[in-house]
Amino acid sequence: MTQQKRLLIIDDDPDFVEGIKAILDAAQYNVDVAYNPKSGLQALQTGNYDLLLLDIMMGRGAEGVMIARKMRKDPKLREMPVLIITGIREQIAFLFPGGPMHPRFVEVDELVEKPVEPRLLLEKVSTLLATVEAKKAK
Amino acid sequence: MKTMEQIPKVLIIDDEEVVLDSCTQILAAGNYNVTTAPNGETGLDLAEKFSPDIAFIDLKMPGISGTEVLERINELDPTIVTVVITGYATINSAVEAMKLGAYDFLPKPFTPDEFRLITRRGLERRKLMLETIALRKEKEMLRDNFAAIVAHELKAPVNAIKQNLYVLDMELAGTLNESQKNRLDRMMARTDDLLKLIHSWLRVLSVDIDKVRETFKSLAVPDLIATATELVEPHAVRKDIEVVTSFQEPLSQIEGDEMSLIEALVNIIDNAIKYSYPSSKVTIHTKETGEGIEISVSDTGVGISKEELPRVLGGFYWSESTQADEPSHGLGLTISQRIIEAHDGKIAVDSEPGKGTTFVISLPALKRLE
Repeated sequence: MTQQKRLLIIDDDPDFVEGIKAILDAAQYNVDVAYNPKSGLQALQTGNYDLLLLDIMMGRGAEGVMIARKMRKDPKLREMPVLIITGIREQIAFLFPGGPMHPRFVEVDELVEKPVEPRLLLEKVSTLLATVEAKKAK
Repeated sequence: MKTMEQIPKVLIIDDEEVVLDSCTQILAAGNYNVTTAPNGETGLDLAEKFSPDIAFIDLKMPGISGTEVLERINELDPTIVTVVITGYATINSAVEAMKLGAYDFLPKPFTPDEFRLITRRGLERRKLMLETIALRKEKEMLRDNFAAIVAHELKAPVNAIKQNLYVLDMELAGTLNESQKNRLDRMMARTDDLLKLIHSWLRVLSVDIDKVRETFKSLAVPDLIATATELVEPHAVRKDIEVVTSFQEPLSQIEGDEMSLIEALVNIIDNAIKYSYPSSKVTIHTKETGEGIEISVSDTGVGISKEELPRVLGGFYWSESTQADEPSHGLGLTISQRIIEAHDGKIAVDSEPGKGTTFVISLPALKRLE
């Protein structure tokens, strides 16, 4: 029996969040949302999440990076896989769309660009979850 | 950034001990951090280490002259407000000093009130100067980041729309009739076009020529072309266009930034495909001339009229004769041109309406290893 996975989305654009939450809901994930970095961090510390979907450009700048930095310093949160969903298009992504990009903010993370296709989103989420499971099993 | 939130720092340079003492006394009542120097040499040393907000300089001192001290402090940090102290007999030199950048002058003897007033005014001036600099910096930063900010603000709503269209597409799968499905697909395609357009704008505004130069290394042109052709393949296949490449051998390497050169080639080849008739050919040939490496990209498509030709590489261009209803924004060529120019190269274009167009990229060659 597999337990339902708990995901947290931190993103300040409610309409965009709606567009990814619906996809994850449909795939039977249990999804919570925080609409700003502050309540996001709170949720991370109190809730027991299996994966974080993190927006980078929030508020007045790259506040998502701040969250990732704080997670890296936290011995418990450091283990959590993070899928970074961002509108910033790096040159590499411009040339090689869909190519793997590992921002290495935390142990296990990956980056996808906004907007993200449902299939790609679900694939990334399940891959990240599986990577962490495999690490734990070791 | 310098600010004056701390206690204002006052430096007094004078060879008369009595002047230094009385000035220190006068300011002791106020909230000042006062340091004194008995000669020009010590004064200059302190100007650097103590970094005062205001400096009083006696014009008549043994050793380094007051005027020289003034000049050197101005060179060190032009935002330090300088006031010259002078006897009646040297009013002329006070005027000279002001010409050299002193903010004001203080004739000896002076009353405590005069000294306090001039100190306050000088510090006010210093504050304004620092504020002006801070504002100017902020303005420059805003201008530099303007493109990025605007692009992010433009992209956010489009991203949200596209993301929800994905969801609709997923949720409504199987329930829409043919024309409804078509409409949804068109909406997705058009939002994609808009996103691409925003990205292109951002690229045009942000191709930083100096940054491109930082990552120069030796490159083989055939490799660059191979990567670029691979990237445009989906577009070529959709229009049933064959991209044929050939190159002269041996071929010197070039020096450049791999990523941006591939981007420039992608834009030009993609452009050739876009203006080609379906089921035709795009030919890419590379050769070496005495001048360097020449890459020509030719299509047998719609071509460009003589009137339009000069405008193609001049800025934001797109042809009225675009095939079908393909999204076309002329930004790609502008980006390519800027990239090639950053590599000390040139792009030329030649075309005949109805026959096709050829773009020729010339880049300086590296000396071949024998």
